[in-house]
Formats: sequence, C-alpha cells, structure tokens
Amino acid sequence: MELLDNLALGFSTALLVQNVLYCFVGVLLGTAVGVLPGIGPTATVAMLLPITFSFEPVTALIMLAGIYYGAQYGGSTTAILINLPGESSAAVTALDGHEMARQGRAGPALAAAAIGSFVAGTVATVALAAAAPPLASVALKFGPADYFSLVLFGLIVSIALARGTALKALAMIALGVLLGTVGQDIYTGTPRFVFEQRELYGGIDFVSVAVGLFGVAEILRNLENEQTRTAIVSKVINLWPTREDRRRIVAPILRGTGLGAALGVLPGGGHVLASFTSYAVEKRISRRPQEFGRGAIEGVAGPESANNAAAQTSFIPLLTLGLPAHPVMALMIGAFIVHGITPGPNVINDEPALFWGLIASMWIGNVLLLLLNLPLIGLWVRMLRIPYQVLFPMIILFAAIGTYSLNSNAYDVYAIAFFGILGYILIKCGCEPAPLLLGFVLGPLLEENLRRALIISRGDPSVFLTRPISAALLALAVVALVVAVLPTIRRRRAVVFAEED
Amino acid sequence: MERRRSFPDVLAGGIFVLIGGAFVVGALGYELGTPTRMGPGAFPLLVGAAVVALGLAIAVKGLVAGEVISFGPIPWRAVAVIVLAVLFFGFTIRRLGFVPTTAVTAMLTTLASTRVRLLTAVAVAAGLTVASTLIFVVGLQLRIPLWGPWLGF
Amino acid sequence: MRTTSRYRATARMIAAIGVVSLAAACSGNGGAAGGGDAANYPDENITIVVPFSAGGPTDTVTRMIAEPMAAKLGGKIVVQNVEGAGGTVGAGDVARAKPDGYTVLMHHIGMSTAPALYKSLGYKPLEDFETVGLVTEVPMTIVARKDFAPATLQDLVTHVKANANKVTLANAGIGAASHLCGLLFQSTTGVKLQEVPYQGTGPALTDLVGGQVDFMCDQTTNTSGQIAAGKVKAYAVTTPERVKSLPDLPTTTEAGLPQLKVSVWHGLYVPADTPPEIVQKLSEALKVALADQGVIDQMAKLGTAPVPAQDATPDAHRAKLDEQLGTWAKIIADSGVKVS
Repeated sequence: MELLDNLALGFSTALLVQNVLYCFVGVLLGTAVGVLPGIGPTATVAMLLPITFSFEPVTALIMLAGIYYGAQYGGSTTAILINLPGESSAAVTALDGHEMARQGRAGPALAAAAIGSFVAGTVATVALAAAAPPLASVALKFGPADYFSLVLFGLIVSIALARGTALKALAMIALGVLLGTVGQDIYTGTPRFVFEQRELYGGIDFVSVAVGLFGVAEILRNLENEQTRTAIVSKVINLWPTREDRRRIVAPILRGTGLGAALGVLPGGGHVLASFTSYAVEKRISRRPQEFGRGAIEGVAGPESANNAAAQTSFIPLLTLGLPAHPVMALMIGAFIVHGITPGPNVINDEPALFWGLIASMWIGNVLLLLLNLPLIGLWVRMLRIPYQVLFPMIILFAAIGTYSLNSNAYDVYAIAFFGILGYILIKCGCEPAPLLLGFVLGPLLEENLRRALIISRGDPSVFLTRPISAALLALAVVALVVAVLPTIRRRRAVVFAEED
Repeated sequence: MERRRSFPDVLAGGIFVLIGGAFVVGALGYELGTPTRMGPGAFPLLVGAAVVALGLAIAVKGLVAGEVISFGPIPWRAVAVIVLAVLFFGFTIRRLGFVPTTAVTAMLTTLASTRVRLLTAVAVAAGLTVASTLIFVVGLQLRIPLWGPWLGF
Repeated sequence: MRTTSRYRATARMIAAIGVVSLAAACSGNGGAAGGGDAANYPDENITIVVPFSAGGPTDTVTRMIAEPMAAKLGGKIVVQNVEGAGGTVGAGDVARAKPDGYTVLMHHIGMSTAPALYKSLGYKPLEDFETVGLVTEVPMTIVARKDFAPATLQDLVTHVKANANKVTLANAGIGAASHLCGLLFQSTTGVKLQEVPYQGTGPALTDLVGGQVDFMCDQTTNTSGQIAAGKVKAYAVTTPERVKSLPDLPTTTEAGLPQLKVSVWHGLYVPADTPPEIVQKLSEALKVALADQGVIDQMAKLGTAPVPAQDATPDAHRAKLDEQLGTWAKIIADSGVKVS
C-alpha cells in the first residue's frame, strides 16, 4: 500500500491552500493565453515561466504544470471555434471540432473535449502514480531505429486524417516532411533552403504553418462568396451533448486514454503521435467512417483524451529520469534548476513531497479545468456571434502578433502569408491540410532518427529489421498502408463491376 | 461516380511536382554523404523525389480519371489584401512599433471583405488595436516598442 | 525577502491577466527604445538578451543574477530570449542595438567559437561589443553509458584509440558546449570518432542513459543529477579543480589528461560605443550580484560558482574572449567543421 501512502503525501501537499490557488491560477492563465490564436502550449509556458521563479519549488512546478495543460485546453478551444490549432494535436481536434461548430454544435464539441480530457487526466494520473518507474524503463528501450519506425508508422497512419484520396494525403504528408527540412541541418550545421537568411536557420515555425494552412486558408474560403456562404452558423442547436452524443463518446474516450497514456511515455516524440493515432483508430473502427471530417463527435473526444493522457504521462521520463520529452519538459527542467533541484532520477527519493505533490496536483488541475471550462462553454459559444467582419480581422491580427511574439522573427509572419496561399490553393484542389501539418511536425524526427540510427549501425540498414521494436512497428506501418489504400482499390473494383453490368 | 479529366487534380499534381522538384534541385547542391553519415542533401533529395512522384501520379490520374471537385471562385481582393496585411505586419513591426503596425494591419484585413463599409472598418481597426495592445503589451508584456524608430522614437 | 519576491510575482501575474492600467504599462514599456545620459543611467528597464531558450542553463544563470543586479542599479531588468542559429541571432541583435546600456547580452563560450563556425556572422565579437565582465565558468564532465567498458579516463583513451570506428560520441548539436568539448577530446587524444549529434542535451542524455550511445561530455548543470543517481558513468571533470557537488570525481589533470581543460564561461556584453561610465556601472552591479549569497548558493547547486571579483571586469573578460577566440579557431579549423 505504498501507492496509497504516496498519494496521501501527494494530496496533502497539493491541497495546501497556496498550491490549490496557484494550480488554479496556472490553469486559468494557461487557458487564457492558450486560447489566443498563434500561441500554443510551448509558447505559453515559455512566456509565463518567469512568473513562477520566485515561488516555493513545489508551488512553482504545480503552477507551471497547470499552465501547460491549461494552455493545451485553451488551444483546443481555439481549434474548435475558429479552426486555428496552436499545436499538432489541436490540428486533429480542429478537423471534426470545427466542423461541429459550423453546424451549430460547438457546445457539444467543447464539452466532449472537456470531459474526455478530464477522464484521460484522471486515468493517466493513476497510471503515473502506480507505474512511473517501470514505464520509464520501457521508454529507455527505444533507440533511434525504433523511433524512426514509430514515426514512419505515425506518418502512414495520418493518411486517415483526410477525407479525400489516399494518394493526395500521402503527397501532402511528404510535402510536409519536405518543408520540415528547411533550416539548419542538426548533423552538419549546414543551412538548407534558407536563401542566406539567418532568420530561417531555425526552420519554419510550426505556428506559422498552422495559422496559414488552417486560419488564413479557411478565412479565404469563407470570403469566397460572402453573399451565400456564412462562415459559422451563429444559431446554436444545443449547448450540451445529447444522450446520443454521450453514448458515442464513452468508448473513444477510453480508447484514446489508453493509447495516449502509452505513447506519452516515449520521450522521442510519442506524445505527438497520440492524438492522431487515436483519430485514425476511431475512424477505422467506426461504423460511420464517412462522418469523420464532417463533424463526428468521436473525432473530438478520442484525440482530445489521447492528447491529455499523453501530456500527463510525458511527465514520466521527466520526473523519474530527469529527461525531458519535449520543449515544455525542457522548460520544466529549467524550472527545477532555478529552484535549486537537480533534475534527475533522484528527485523521486530526495523530494518525495514535490514528486507526489506534482502528480496529485495534476488531477486537481484537471478537476479545476473541468469546473472552469464547462461554465465557459456558454461564453465561448456566444463568442461565435461576433460578426464575421470583426472576427476574421481579429484572427489574422492576433495570429500575426502571436506568431511574431514567439521569436521576434519577421520571417515567421511572412511564412503565414506563404502557407495561407499554398494551403488555400491545395484545399481548393481537394488536398486537405492536416496531413501536411503532421508531416511537417514528424518529418524532422524521421530524418533525425534515420540518420542517427545509421550512424550508430555504421550504415547498416538491417538495424531497422533486426531490432524487435522497430521490426514490429514497421510491420504495423505496412499493415496501416494496406488498410489505407484498400478502400480506394475496392471502390475502383466496385466501379469496374458496375460498368460490367 | 463519374470520373473524368479534373483541373484541380492536375493543378495539385503540378504544385507537388514544382515544389518537390525545387527541393530536389536544392538538395543536389548539398553534400549527399554516405549511408553511414548521410549528408544534409540526402534526405530532402529522397523526400523531394517522392513528392515529385506522387505529384505526377496525381496529375496523370487527374488527366484520366480525376476527382470531380468544383474549384469555385477566388476572392482576389481578399487574397491580395490579406497577404499585403500580413507582409506589412512582419516588415514594419520593428520599424513603426506595435500601435501603428497593428492599426494598419487591422484596417487592411478588414477591407478584405467586400461587404464592409469604411466607417465599420475604421471602428473595427481601432477596437482591435486597443484590444491587442491591452492583451499583448499590457497583459503578456511583450517586448515590442509601442512606437518604433521610424517615428523618431 | 521571500514575501517581497512573492508579492512582486503576484503583481506580475495580475499584470499578466491584464488588470493593470494602461497608463502604468506605458510608463513601463513605452521607453524601450529611448535613451538617457550616463549620469542618470538607468532611468528605464534594462533588457538582458539571452540568445538561447528560456529554462536552459544560460537563461538560468542570467535570471539568477538579474534580480541582484537590478537591485544594485536601481531599476528593472527584463530577460528576453532570442533563440536561433547557435546563439548568433540574439548576439547579432544586440550588436546592432543602440549602444545606450539598455540592451545587454548574456552569452557563453559560443561567443568565441561562432567566428570559426560561421562564415557570414554579421558581427565581430571583439569589435562590435564592449565586454562587461565574466559571470561564471560552468565545468564539464565526461560521462558514459553505465555499462561502457572503460573504468577510468586513461582506460577510455586507450579504448577509443583501439576501437575508433566502433565508439560513438554524442553531443547536443553543432556548436553546443558538448560538441566543442568533444572536439577538444578528439584533438587531445588524436582520435577521430563517430559523432552523434542531438538537438539539445535532453535527448542526448536520454540515449546515453538508455545505452544507445557510448559517451559524451557535457555541463555539470545537465549531468550531475544523472551522475549522482548512478545512471551514467563519470570519468572526470574538465576544470583545474574538483566540483563541490561531485567531490569524488577527479579532474582531467588528476586523471592524466591535463590538456583537456574546458569550461562553459559566461559573460555580459553591451554594443560597442556604449559610454564607459555605463559599462562601469553594469560591471559594478555584476560584481555585487556575484557576491550575493543567494546567487552563490544557487550556482553551487548547479555545480558551478561565480567567477572571482577580478574577473567580473571588462578587461578580464576581454582578455578571456581574445584568448578563447584564438584557441577555438585552431581546434575548429583542425576538425574541419564549418557551418556555413
């Protein structure tokens, strides 16, 4: 019953008045900033990090964690309401969430996201408390070859994000991967495709791509024919999920939670894969796959749960090993250091109150988020009544400011215009933007791990097949590719048969 | 389902071939390296070639049996104005400072809509300038001067 | 002390929610581009540009000294992170900033290696900056995966010489401190190793702990937690003296490789032509901050310490920069690394 003792210690720390208060302030600030277009969780945490520097260590970390998942939550809200994702997981939420909003069902979409996140957060907190150290040792088994295969699998799975043909989705993914190569090559430092502009050495910013492909392209489509097309239905059909909605979201939430919790543990990019693997799974096993992309509530509930579960379990490598899984975790390492705690495997033994307090606070934070956001749904939905002539300039302006504020880099702003036009044309040609965005996020991981695996194996490509984890993932990737392409073949055969009749 | 020549498919294919091809050409200018130590050019070369191949496939398919998609009208005014507004923002934010840049950008974007009246546009631009100053400069304490060096500050 | 800092943080937080009046904010922000005369300096906020990400070691060190420096100067110091291209973007920004003392740069050893790594840097370290003073020298440690065969630094050298084409040497990216230390290791031992670059110390250390790569050299800030927990094997620390937080770890000199000396030295810079009185004021404030017990304690936890007072001066800093520029130009040229 060590677990109960630990949790008791955790809750006694996390429930201290100042900790609950700052946890609340954290999720509130995170939500408020995360909801701004163009500012995702990483930027939110980086921006608000200094606020926490003068607190007690445990309070600071609790607040920082609160900012992180609050920002993630706020980002989903923006994705659903105005189709503007602040990070890759929110891009998945936008697919069906924004479609629901257009149909006047923003309320149920937001509620499904909130409830899914809460369930996922609760389960993941328990997983974190019960099995953090063993899970962490599993994570360490993943080498560069395994990550390469995992990412390749993820890329193939993201074909499912498109409604259109697998061929176009594949092309968009590959284009995304290609755009991800812009910037300084990490192996040699060679700047690639930067046209001698030092501002491009860091590559193209994700937010610029997302704001362009989703935000600007969407606005241009809405302005195509202002007389007949209304951007967002201001009439609200229902604010809360119907009984039918509630029935439909249970299984996706549970599946998403499991999937996300498992992937989140992997420090080399597992959390990025969580939400869209969940989307692909839901679309695949649904009896109504044609509804996906047209406002299927499962397409919001599953990925949101997966994302939140992964966000939570991605703390496992950080807390048990002192190893950051992604940029937000790297910022948390900084926070540890500022507070005089040496991040590393010893934190769990040296600072048990901090360790368990932080874990317990995550659950409290999820409760607070739910309490904060369910009442806010009405307010958000009302925001959609803002006339579009005010709303779209606001989106573009805020997105430009938000993007610029990240690195004070004008090229990030120029990139918005470029991707807006590119996305607009491609969308008009039946190529959907989500696969490109994911290719863009995963591409650098693919290249990095491919090259690293080959350096370590001295150029021997058989390493991808001789490592069991990698071989299994590659096999899965092949299956996923066959499954994705199969319907096209079957449809063609149906056409052929119809002609024979 | 009817299948015939599809302009959007051919256009999409063309874009993929063009961008993929540009990256292939660019990648050839970088070192390709060896299998053990792939150079900076190797990966973009491979992926660029894949994009070209996929683009060709889409274009060819579009010529024989494409997807029937209606391309629809292009809101030229909105495209021009929004691109201009975004580029203006990026270019002048450091030079004119936060307030003037924001005001002009907001004003320009508002004009993207064909239905907007000038007075509304001015009102929206003013409102958005105040709102964004409050949120980003006051609230988030962005380190951007309110008035920039071009205005003599 | 704690209450005041908490009060300040709360105040900032309220500001962050956006409740503070516009007028108050204007007085705080409006003058960012202004300038005053040296006698009244500082009459507005000073910005310290950190050319690396928030939360990284350089950022941490900067934030540690910012508060006591601000207290001494009698103004407010804001830390701004301008990342990119190995710190050269942020440094370039400061080089072009107004030389009025309100834009200060914190940079580390990378200031002395950039000219050798980058062909078109856009600034010259010695000519485009005034040095203010050195801040700290963070020691580095040579660490390996737990089950790596060599037991001591001497063994390691023998081992890599015998297995040069098998051993992998990880680093945190081109131009990172770990990369530089790795280059120095290779040039001292005369062995060319297969280097495995990562994006930052975090992922590199993850693979080292996971046993995917053999060894690396990185700052105590990053490695001491893993060393203390026994997750990695440590061979030596690269400074002339042992580190307080790792008392059992020999120095490279003790372990028989005295040429392998390197530390991640940090210093403050202002744009060239900043009035000398202002540079002097900043240097004085730096000295006060480095003598602050809180700063000393915080640095000790990172396995480092403030530089002695005589090094926190413009002249000592300039001498160090000059010497390091020459040292690294040679090592980097010999290694054949060139970024652009």
